[in-house]
Amino acid sequence: MEQKEYGGKTLEIDEDGFIQDPNLWDPAVAADLAKTEGVDDLTDDHWKVVNFLREYYLEFNMAPMIRKLCKSTGFKLKEIYELFPSGPAKGACKVAGLPKPTGCV
Amino acid sequence: MSEKQERSHKAQKVLERMGQKLNRQMVGSLVACVHCGMCTESCHYVLANPGDPTYAPAYKADRIRKLFKRHFDWTGRVFPWWVKAGSVFTDADLEELKDIVFGKCTNCRRCTMNCPMGVDLATFNRMARGLLVSVGVMPEGVAVVSKDQWETGNQMGVLKEDYVETLEWMAEELEEELGAPAADIIPIDRPDCDVVYSINPREVKYDPRSIADAAKIFHVAGESWTMPSEGWDMTNFGLFSGDDALGGSVSRRLYEKVSELRGKRLVISECGHGYRSTRCEGPNWAQYDVPFEMESSVITMLRYIKDGRIKVDKTRNAQPVTYHDSCNFARSCGMVEEPRELLNLVCTDFREMYPNRAENYCCTGGGGAMSMSEYTPQRLKSGKVKAEQLKATNTEVVITSCHNCVDGLTDVIRHYELGMEVTQLVNLVANAMVIE
Repeated sequence: MEQKEYGGKTLEIDEDGFIQDPNLWDPAVAADLAKTEGVDDLTDDHWKVVNFLREYYLEFNMAPMIRKLCKSTGFKLKEIYELFPSGPAKGACKVAGLPKPTGCV
Repeated sequence: MSEKQERSHKAQKVLERMGQKLNRQMVGSLVACVHCGMCTESCHYVLANPGDPTYAPAYKADRIRKLFKRHFDWTGRVFPWWVKAGSVFTDADLEELKDIVFGKCTNCRRCTMNCPMGVDLATFNRMARGLLVSVGVMPEGVAVVSKDQWETGNQMGVLKEDYVETLEWMAEELEEELGAPAADIIPIDRPDCDVVYSINPREVKYDPRSIADAAKIFHVAGESWTMPSEGWDMTNFGLFSGDDALGGSVSRRLYEKVSELRGKRLVISECGHGYRSTRCEGPNWAQYDVPFEMESSVITMLRYIKDGRIKVDKTRNAQPVTYHDSCNFARSCGMVEEPRELLNLVCTDFREMYPNRAENYCCTGGGGAMSMSEYTPQRLKSGKVKAEQLKATNTEVVITSCHNCVDGLTDVIRHYELGMEVTQLVNLVANAMVIE
């Protein structure tokens, strides 16, 4: 598996660019992952999404439904796509240090 | 290699089960290849890896064909060296086969279109996948998704309450625009409807905008329609994994739910493999005598416009767009002219991609490839020809009638920095629709 430098650490990433060990995730890692998804600066709004995804993942060991994400963060669907142009599954989840979502995505 | 060599339990099972899987169509394809090489240049993997003969369809086919020759065909018993008969002995042999049948072919069937003998590689490649899956040899992603689909009835493990809540949410978002109560905008489990609408779990889990767009179209058309609370996943990993039992279990869930609701027609949202699985393969896998009609939402939308049930203003989609034919939708199910007819009704500047229709190249994500991360680098490399095709259209938007292709194309566009957007017909139709 490939190794990459994110947030000053050497991390293992899968072939789709998702980090393998969520325990090594921290805000600096998130900022570098965001750059790979076309988000150069993480604003407070981005953090709201990222923090929710991470907390949800740590609790349930899976990515939340987009419904839960919108309800908990108060963002509209459209706004999520504006924050993360590559979408919630591949974009936001990657930044939050989740593994690649399963299925046709 | 000596036949006295001992075989692993898994290798033994694969060979035993192969005999039960072979049918006349497969045997026809296994014996017909004359190694003329016409298929070679038809494969997107070959075009991206010209120096690597292991990507050639005939080469890949021979990895399966050698087993057939050795164990099921008399030529392999009489002169095995001549017909290149061979076998599998160890678990490592099976792993090697796995990397070919899952990692080097997307079952897109473009080689079949270019084979003068009509060899259908995808059919026996799928059989080989099924044999490996039956002994637990498969990419991890295939195992995870298959398990979800077996256990929860949908490939992303979406719970019933989350699914229903998402539908209600989309309906609420439309209340103001449509001036109707949410429960009438997306009716759930309503019996005796003309249309029961099934979707890809990707829509409900990550991007329900396509559900909202479809609901808007059904509502404005005055359709008597519903979405089922269960049996709503029209995707089917059985097609990708080669597991007919999974294929049957998934499609049966849909058929039984539509029957229970006494729906007159099952409409399948834009998804190539989902359409093929549900409409074409499912009744055979499930051994189910389907008592209702089944159609793609592309046909439904086209009919609404032709019958005047919805009005569209195509100038609302004025940007140049191109169309990508999905392998399962176009090549395997013949849905080539209907999406084009619809496109020309809802946008002003549609430009063909070349080659197109049944000769189009795979998005790179066919055959479930999007779920097999271990092969992503070679998949993206194989996208070279797709990237060139897309670029040559000089458009910024590519439309496709397949969720898998949406993701495959998005990956290719990113990797090759094409800066294009991918969208589906339902989004274009909803955008062009005039609501009075």
